[in-house]
Amino acid sequence: MNNQIVDQLDDVVTQMLAGNIAAQPGDFQLRELTALVDDLRYLPRPAFRARLHAELISSAVLRRIPVREPVPRHPNQDKPAACETQRSPLASPAALERFMPSFATLAASPIKPSHLALSFALHVAVLATVLTSGVWIVRSTGIPAHVVSLLNDTPLILSSEGREAHGGGGGGDRDLLSASKGTPPRVANEQLTSPAVVVRNEAPKLPATPTVIGPPEIVLPSSTLSGDPLANVLSPPSNGTGSGGGIGSGTDGGVGSGYGPGVGPGHAGGIGGGVFHVGGGVTAPRALYQPDPEYSEEARRAKFQGVVVLNVVIGPDGRPRDLRVARSLGMGLDEKAIEAVRQWKFAPATKDGHPVAVQVGIEVAFRLY
Amino acid sequence: MSAIDTTEPIGEERRMIQAAQQDPIHFAALYERNFDRVYAFLARRVPTREEAEDLTAEVFHQAIAGLDRFEWQGTPFVGWLLGIAANLLAKRWQRATRQPEILSEDLELVASSDATERQALLAQLVALLPDDQRHVVLARFVEQRSIRDIARDLGRSAGAIKQLQFRALENLRNHVKARSHHE
Repeated sequence: MNNQIVDQLDDVVTQMLAGNIAAQPGDFQLRELTALVDDLRYLPRPAFRARLHAELISSAVLRRIPVREPVPRHPNQDKPAACETQRSPLASPAALERFMPSFATLAASPIKPSHLALSFALHVAVLATVLTSGVWIVRSTGIPAHVVSLLNDTPLILSSEGREAHGGGGGGDRDLLSASKGTPPRVANEQLTSPAVVVRNEAPKLPATPTVIGPPEIVLPSSTLSGDPLANVLSPPSNGTGSGGGIGSGTDGGVGSGYGPGVGPGHAGGIGGGVFHVGGGVTAPRALYQPDPEYSEEARRAKFQGVVVLNVVIGPDGRPRDLRVARSLGMGLDEKAIEAVRQWKFAPATKDGHPVAVQVGIEVAFRLY
Repeated sequence: MSAIDTTEPIGEERRMIQAAQQDPIHFAALYERNFDRVYAFLARRVPTREEAEDLTAEVFHQAIAGLDRFEWQGTPFVGWLLGIAANLLAKRWQRATRQPEILSEDLELVASSDATERQALLAQLVALLPDDQRHVVLARFVEQRSIRDIARDLGRSAGAIKQLQFRALENLRNHVKARSHHE
């Protein structure tokens, strides 16, 4: 093929596509070919052709149920038609009448009056069933105030033991970084020096071994790396964001997030955080919000009654956690009791004015009458 | 040049219309048969491709909506479609006050012009080209892209694309000549 003719043709095409009037080529073959270019510029886009085809097909499917008719254009409307047709014009009254006759025009419709009456009766029956089922459902699940009663106004079974369990401590030296992970120092009955990851005073006048306060019989795993065992980061070394010396985010010379010279999220010395029991300076939590549990369907049918006892930890945030069944009833009532108590909210127990986690027992009584 | 589909018996088109009147899903066949001529008619009479597409879409949507009212009178179905198109154009021009005095006879005259027929024929012939030639024609003339862009997309040289363009135009010219001699 002659490359010169190919290039000449493309030059003419380029000029015509740019809207310029190209000079007629002298070559007869080129004149014939360029005569086609003008028509080719007006070819439809294949994508448009396919899209319109799809639109018409979907329109045709809808027209099998006569619900579409052309839209009269607004006189001032210049919006193109393709968009307009997608606005799904509704049917004329006549078309709707054919498809959904009213009682007034029933005689002229192909639908038999008996069928329409039957349809109407069925709709009424279904509607009535739906409405009454709502009442039935409420009755069957029971309004708890009528079927369930809690044992008394203060459904907490408080421990009569006066001991404290666990406890903890915390510290830090107001570093910008969180405390680094490591092991606490030795546990002892007294503390002369609080622990530290980053030693600020390299030459103290009275050197002493750092300790945390707790039962001396507790042996913590030893490591060359001091730090908070509950921390998430290994480095960089930091005493943590707490205050009063020690390591962690708490206060008062311990290790962890608690208060005091112990280890962990608890309070006033000791190891491991953990929860308190009521008594010995720990106040009882007070229920603020206690929705009643529902009756299980199985227990209701069997007319089964009784009391479920749960052991629950009420956290410093006043929310119950670690729910365990201490006395089971079965028949789904244990689950119902847990489900309800999980939603309760409390004013938390306190020790020395600080909210602490406590473990309490809660009795949930299920009675039908 | 006469109408494109003169080789098809007119009775076949009548059966297609009757089928579409009974079940609109069969309108698709009428659409495929007449799309190119409706589009060709409109494309030269509006300034942009988008307007041509909007009007074409409106013609076919009006046609499918009013198919129940169509009465077979022995004239090709495309005449009815071009009548809808002409009315739409007239309304459009009246709104734009470009040509408020346009007459329907003028539109009918224009509707049967050689240019419309030739362009509609060309649209059908492009569909028969080999894949690479058809791709170049659509990219070059419909999308109006440069030879360099097309070459980059296809991973070929600009010279190769120019050659494809040349061969495609040659093929189209030969097909047009063959149709003319046949008729």
